[in-house]
Amino acid sequence: MAINLRTPQAETREQRLGTITQWEGSAQDLARDSAFTYGCGRDCGEGGRRLCELSSPYSQASMCAEQIAVTNATVIKDAVVIQHSPIGCASSQSFTSRYSRDLAARRGWKPEDPKSICTNLGERDMVFGGVERLAATIREAYERHRPRVIFVATSCATGIIGDDVDGTARQLEDEIGIPVVPLHCEGFKSRHWSSGWDVIEHGILRRLVPHRPNDKRDDLLNVIHLGGPDVFSPLVNPLGLSVNLVMGGNSLERLADLSTAAATVTMCFVLSYLATGLEQEYGVPEIRAPLPYGLAATDNWLRDIARVTKRESLVEAVIASERARIAPELDRLRAALKGKKGFVAAGAAFAHGLVADLRELGVAVDDVFSFHHDPSTDSRDAEQDSLGHLVQTTGDISHFTVSPDQHFQAHAALKRARPDFVICRHSGSMAILAGRMGIPVLPIFYSNDGLGYEGLLTIGRAILRVLPRRRFYEDVAAHSRFPYQQWWLKETNPYALAAGDAA
Amino acid sequence: MNIQSRLADEGAGSFAASAGPIEQARYACALGALASVIAIEGAIPITHCGPGCATKQFHALSGISGYQGGEFHVPSTNIGNKEVIFGGVGRLDELISSTLQVMEAELYVVQSGCIPGLVGDDVANVVQSYRRRGVPIVFAETLGYRGTNFIGHETVVRAILDQYVAERAGANPETRKGLVNVWSLLPYQNPFWRGDLAEIRRILEGVGLEVNILFGPASEGLSEWRAIPSAELNLVLSPWLGLATARRLEDVYGQPFLHRPAIPIGARATAAFLRQVGDAVGADPARVEHFIKREERDYYRYLRDFAHFYAGCASQYRLPSEINIVSESAYALAIAKFFVGDLGLNPGVIVVTENPPESERETIRAAFRDLAPGVDGEPTFESDGHRAHELIAKHARVGEFPIVFGSTWEAAVAGEIGAPLVEISYPTTDEVVLARSYVGYRGALQLLERAYTTVVRQSTEENPEAAAL
Repeated sequence: MAINLRTPQAETREQRLGTITQWEGSAQDLARDSAFTYGCGRDCGEGGRRLCELSSPYSQASMCAEQIAVTNATVIKDAVVIQHSPIGCASSQSFTSRYSRDLAARRGWKPEDPKSICTNLGERDMVFGGVERLAATIREAYERHRPRVIFVATSCATGIIGDDVDGTARQLEDEIGIPVVPLHCEGFKSRHWSSGWDVIEHGILRRLVPHRPNDKRDDLLNVIHLGGPDVFSPLVNPLGLSVNLVMGGNSLERLADLSTAAATVTMCFVLSYLATGLEQEYGVPEIRAPLPYGLAATDNWLRDIARVTKRESLVEAVIASERARIAPELDRLRAALKGKKGFVAAGAAFAHGLVADLRELGVAVDDVFSFHHDPSTDSRDAEQDSLGHLVQTTGDISHFTVSPDQHFQAHAALKRARPDFVICRHSGSMAILAGRMGIPVLPIFYSNDGLGYEGLLTIGRAILRVLPRRRFYEDVAAHSRFPYQQWWLKETNPYALAAGDAA
Repeated sequence: MNIQSRLADEGAGSFAASAGPIEQARYACALGALASVIAIEGAIPITHCGPGCATKQFHALSGISGYQGGEFHVPSTNIGNKEVIFGGVGRLDELISSTLQVMEAELYVVQSGCIPGLVGDDVANVVQSYRRRGVPIVFAETLGYRGTNFIGHETVVRAILDQYVAERAGANPETRKGLVNVWSLLPYQNPFWRGDLAEIRRILEGVGLEVNILFGPASEGLSEWRAIPSAELNLVLSPWLGLATARRLEDVYGQPFLHRPAIPIGARATAAFLRQVGDAVGADPARVEHFIKREERDYYRYLRDFAHFYAGCASQYRLPSEINIVSESAYALAIAKFFVGDLGLNPGVIVVTENPPESERETIRAAFRDLAPGVDGEPTFESDGHRAHELIAKHARVGEFPIVFGSTWEAAVAGEIGAPLVEISYPTTDEVVLARSYVGYRGALQLLERAYTTVVRQSTEENPEAAAL
C-alpha cells in the first residue's frame, strides 16, 4: 500500500486509509473497529466488527480539499498559485492572505500579500474548455511576479469539463523554465477536506524535493506541521538537532532540504503523507511515536527522536529539565481548572491530542466531535493509532462523534455534553455555535499551541482567559435562537436522523 | 450540458465572457448570493453544490470581511463523486425534504452551483414538486461560472419576486400611499450595508415615508417582501444593481421607479435626495423640509467643530488632497461625490471593481461627471488587483497628498505612494464592523471620523518627529 508518486493525482484518503466522516459511539469502540477493519494495532481485542459509517439525509455546507491544498500552496514563498476555476473558488484569496500575513508576523518574515491568480472561467469556457485561459494566466503570472514555482489548482468545474491541466502545465513549464505543479483537488472527489493536505504534499514530494544523497545531515529534523509559530526548536535544540519546519508556510529551500534530514516528525498524523513518502522515497525515517500531547507522551516522543537520531545520552536530562521548568505553573493551572468539563472539536489525530492535553490538565473530557476519522495511516504502523493510544493511556470517551463540521449535529452534541468550555479548530462553524449556545470557547487557529511541555501551559492559560466570557455568551444566547425546529433544538443525539445502523 | 430553468426565464444578458484572470478577488461567484438570502430575516438558502462552495463564499463575504457574522448553517448537498457521475437530483430531493424536517423558515431559496449546471441536474423540476405541495420554496440558478455575486443577487431577488411574492400578492395589489421599496447596496459585499440600510430607512421615514428596506437588521423581513407589490415607488439607490429588478416590477405591477446612482453622503446630497424622493411620491413638502432642517442643524454643528481640525488646528498632519478609490461602483461613486464635492479633494484614480454589465457602464461613467461643478471623475473598470494597483502607482501626481479608499488589498499600493488607506470595500479584513454607517447624515460624520483618524495615525506612524511637535 505504498504511496504512488507516479501519477499527478494523489489517491484520496478514503481510498488509501478508509477515512470516514460520519460515526457515533464510544472512542473505545471506534478504535477497536478501526483496528479490526484496517489492521490489528493496539485494540485488536475481543468483539471487533467492520467499521460501519452512518449517513444523514440532512447535511450542511462543509469545506473542500481545494481550500486546504490552495491555502497551503499559497503560503509557500516565491510561489504563485493559479486557481483554474470560476471566480467563486478564489473567494478564499482574502482569508488566505490574512492568514499569510499573520503567519509572516509570527515567524518574523516580511508580511506581504501572497500571490494567487484565478483564471476566472465563465460559461463560454465551460463549453469550449479553459486550457487557453490557463496557459495565458500561467504566462501572466510569470511575467508579473517571476516566481520560482507555479502551482495550478483544479476545481470541480475544470474536473468535470475535463481540461488537460497536466498537459498544459508541462507545456508551459518547458516554455518558462520553472516547475509548474498541478494540484488535483476537485472538491467533489473526496468526502473530506483533509485530502487537500495529501494533494499539496503529493505535489511537493513529486516536484520540489530533489534527491540529494550526498547532502545527508544527521542533525536535521523535518517537522511537518499545520502552521504557526516554531515551538519545536526549543524542544529539540537541546538534543543538538535543528528543525526544518515545513508546511504551514515555508521556503523552497526548506522543502529541498527534506530529503537530507535525519528523521521526520509530523505534528498531526493527518499530514503524515509527506513523512511516509520521504521514508519511502529517500529513506528518511518517520518518527511514529504517539504525538507529544501530555507529559508522558512528550517524554516518549523525545525519546523516540533521540533513539532514531542516536542522541539517547542527551534526552533524559532534557526531559527532566523541561518537566521541572513547567511543574509550578502546571500545578497552578491544574488547581484552577479542577472540576471543569471540556468539549473537544477538531480533526482526528489533532482532536486526540487536545483530549490528552485537557486530561493532563485535570479537565474532564467525555465528549469529542471529530471532523473525520482515519482508521489507518499511510505507514500502516499501529504505533500511529492515536485514538487507540489515547484510550489506552487516558481512558475511554463515551461520546465520540465523527461529523464533517455539521452545525446541527454539533448542536445536539453540545446539548448532550453541557461542557464548561469548548476547545476547537476550524472555528467557522463550531466556535460560533458554542458561543451562541452560551458556552465559552477557545478556538485554536495555530495548532502547535498544545504541543509538548509548553503546550500544556499555553492551552491551560488560554482556557482560563476565555472562561469569564461566559457572561457575554450567555447574554447573547438568551436573546437569540437558531432556526431549527423545536424537536431538533431539544435533540441530544447528533445522529438522530441517520439511516442505517447506529454504532 | 443542460442549462435551463423552468421556473424563471433568466433574461439577463450579463453572462458575457468573464473579465480575464483575477488576482486579489473583489467579489464572489453567483452562488455567493446566498448571502443575500441570509440577509433576509426568515429565509434560508438550500445549496446544491460542492462541499466547500457555500462555506467559502460566505466566509469570504462575511467572516473575514468586516467580521460581520450572520446566520450560517446552510443546508448543502455537498456533491460528491456519486452525484457527479449519476446526477444529483435524488440527493437534492432528500436534502430539501430533510431540511423541512429540521429547519424552520418562512422561505427556502434553492441555489445551484457549478456542478449541477455542468452535469445537467433538473433542479427546477425538484423544486417545482415541493411548490405544488404548497411549500414556500423558490429556485435561483446561481451557477458559479455564470457570473458574480452581484448577478447572483439579481437572480435570487428575481426568483423570490416571481415565485414567492407574486403568488402572495394576487393580480392587482392595492397601492399603499407613501410606501417605497429600496434596492441599494449588496448585502455583505459592502461591509457597511447593515448600518447604511438602517440610515437610509431612518431618513426616508423621517420625511414621512414607509420603507421596505428588505435586507438586514433594519428590515422586518419577509413581511416587507410580501408588501413589495403595494409600494408606490421602487427606489434604485445604486449605479446599476437593482435596475433589472425595478424594470421587472414596472412591467409586472406598473410601479414607477426612481434611479439615483449615488447613495447620498453628507447634508447636501442627502437633502437633494430626500426632496427628489418626496417629489416622486407626493410627500408633504413641509414635513420633508422640517426633517431636513432638523438633521442639518445637528450635522452642521458637528461640521463646524470638525472645521477646526480641517482648518489646520493640527497643521502637522498631511491632510489629503487627492482621493483614489478602488471599490464596487456604489461606494466608489458615493464617496467620490462626498470627498470631491463637499470636502474639496481632487479626484485621482477611481477603479470600479465589480465588472458591471457592459450595458450599464455608460450610465456609471456619466454618474462620475460633475463630482463638483466642473470636476469630473474618470472611472476605470478593472477587477484585477494587480492592474488596479499599477494604475494608482503610476498615476502622475504633482504636489498632491493622496488618500486611498479601498479594500485590504490596497494596503501595499497605499504604502507605496505614502497614502493613508481607509477600508471601504470587499475584502475589508482589517475592520470590525457592526452598525457603522458611512451614508446619509449620521454616516457621513462617521466616515469623516474614520478617514481622518486614519490620516492622523498614519502621519504619527510615518512622521514621529512631526507628531511630537
